[in-house]
Amino acid sequence: MRSVLCFGDSNTYGQMPGRGPLERFARDARWSGVLQRELGPKWQVIEEGLSGRTTVHDDPIEGAHKNGRSYLKPCLQSHATLDLVIIMLGTNDLKARFGQPASEVAMGMGCLVYDIRELAPGPGGTVPEIMIVAPPPMLEDIKEWRSIFAGAYEKSHQLALEFEIMADSLGVHFFNAGSVCRCDPADGFHIGAEAHESLGVALAQEVDAIGWVDQER
Amino acid sequence: MRFAPPNPLRIADRASGLNAPSVRSYNERLVLSLLLQNEGTTRLEIGEKTGLSAQTVSVIVRSLEQEGLVAKGEAQRGRVGPPTIPMMLNPEGAFSVGVSFGAWSADVVVIDFVGGVRFHKAHAYADLHPTATEAPLQAAIEAAVEVVPAHLRDRIAGIGLAVPDEATIGDDLMRLVGRDLPSAQARIESALGLPVFMQNDITAAASGESLFGVARALSDFVFFYLGARLHSRLILNHQIYNGKAGASSDVGLSNLADALAELGMTFRPLSEWPDLTGTAKPVYDAWRLRARTRIRSSVEALLDFVRVQSIVLSTYAPLAVAELLRAEIAEMLPGIDVQLGRGMISPKAWGAASLPYHSRFMVQ
Repeated sequence: MRSVLCFGDSNTYGQMPGRGPLERFARDARWSGVLQRELGPKWQVIEEGLSGRTTVHDDPIEGAHKNGRSYLKPCLQSHATLDLVIIMLGTNDLKARFGQPASEVAMGMGCLVYDIRELAPGPGGTVPEIMIVAPPPMLEDIKEWRSIFAGAYEKSHQLALEFEIMADSLGVHFFNAGSVCRCDPADGFHIGAEAHESLGVALAQEVDAIGWVDQER
Repeated sequence: MRFAPPNPLRIADRASGLNAPSVRSYNERLVLSLLLQNEGTTRLEIGEKTGLSAQTVSVIVRSLEQEGLVAKGEAQRGRVGPPTIPMMLNPEGAFSVGVSFGAWSADVVVIDFVGGVRFHKAHAYADLHPTATEAPLQAAIEAAVEVVPAHLRDRIAGIGLAVPDEATIGDDLMRLVGRDLPSAQARIESALGLPVFMQNDITAAASGESLFGVARALSDFVFFYLGARLHSRLILNHQIYNGKAGASSDVGLSNLADALAELGMTFRPLSEWPDLTGTAKPVYDAWRLRARTRIRSSVEALLDFVRVQSIVLSTYAPLAVAELLRAEIAEMLPGIDVQLGRGMISPKAWGAASLPYHSRFMVQ
């Protein structure tokens, strides 16, 4: 059995676009559920999606627990052994309160990659495969979130390139979610049911393409 | 250092067209070599064959994909799990020009990245003689590359020249490029702004078959080139060996032409072939016997020293003639696989066109 950890924010949690914070797509409809279905019984897909999660910032308003970096290590250790870690974050870092350019968000992603390598939660204490996923860019109309995400629209379109540069530089896998899905117009930054489906299917192909030598463990 | 800004490899540079040859890393060449030699391969196989980590392969393949050299193949659905997607070369990822100087004509071909012929023209030497103001060979090459769509023209990897052995360089070639080949190479390079590579013509034809022809999967084979004369090369472990310079046998198409001339028939092997079923049949049969006997004795002599199981016969003779000869050779040499080359339209020029790929994309 191989295991993959999906470390993300509300779009991994499966929050429904334009709805309340507790309204969530069903497990098998979330992209991590789709990934599980596509990869089949040889894989165990672990979902770790927290709404509001940033890469490396304590959120002064929503709370310090939104910091992806401080939660990543205990999370990795709780779920080790892991063959693959998929990280899809970045959208929340674009909130006006953090004032970060896209390149800084990519630096935050880079920190998480370093932390995974340091902890080495892979088989036999090795470094697992790591895949950075750039979230799909925001839509122009983000409704009542306009002020919270002031200035984020342009930056969200730069994330994919900045993340890819980071992935190349660190030598990890990369996937641009914006190449297979877009955000839902209901709130402009969450993804809908169809997007979860296509993202899950696309990521399953990406996971498979990494190439896994068959071995019984 | 840990939190220094990322140092982007050349991948994040989204400029279109081919990257400069100097920046292509050894690992990229390793991956491209594999893809050039295999029809389609997965990232897992690339990793296994190169020893590169999955993440390194992922970065390299993504970069080659962005550069347009590599594309995803058709998904292959397995019994469980998501479909497997092989990686392959994008046929339009690169183009190359090959020029050969044969007994009767100078040939120009343009091939795509997987060895498909996009253009071929045989020029009579008389049409190519340079004058004080004109350089018809350069013009012929310029005309040939017009076949590549304008937006892809920056993807032309270079020009390969297939040159005959010094011993057999004829007056025609002398008049065309001058006595000094390296300076001719430099002249063409600066006139067309493309790197020019030169190689012996028979070796070039063999290397074309080895790279993307019928011998792609063969590490060892004997290569026969049946042109005006019969030439041979031995390929062991993908390495091409030749015998003494200029060694060839007079059992080629010139020999047939001479024999037919005695009957009062004239033919130029590149244009129409006369009817060989009538009065010419005994002459035609006798020529084939001479050719295949020569091939058999070469192969038999070789078999005393090395065990090769494949022969590639490369010729621009019409398919019916080539196929008959191939079948007769196969019959004479049981247990040995005899195939016709893929570059039949102009084997030497086609092979020459593979030269730029070797030096720009492959591990040496």
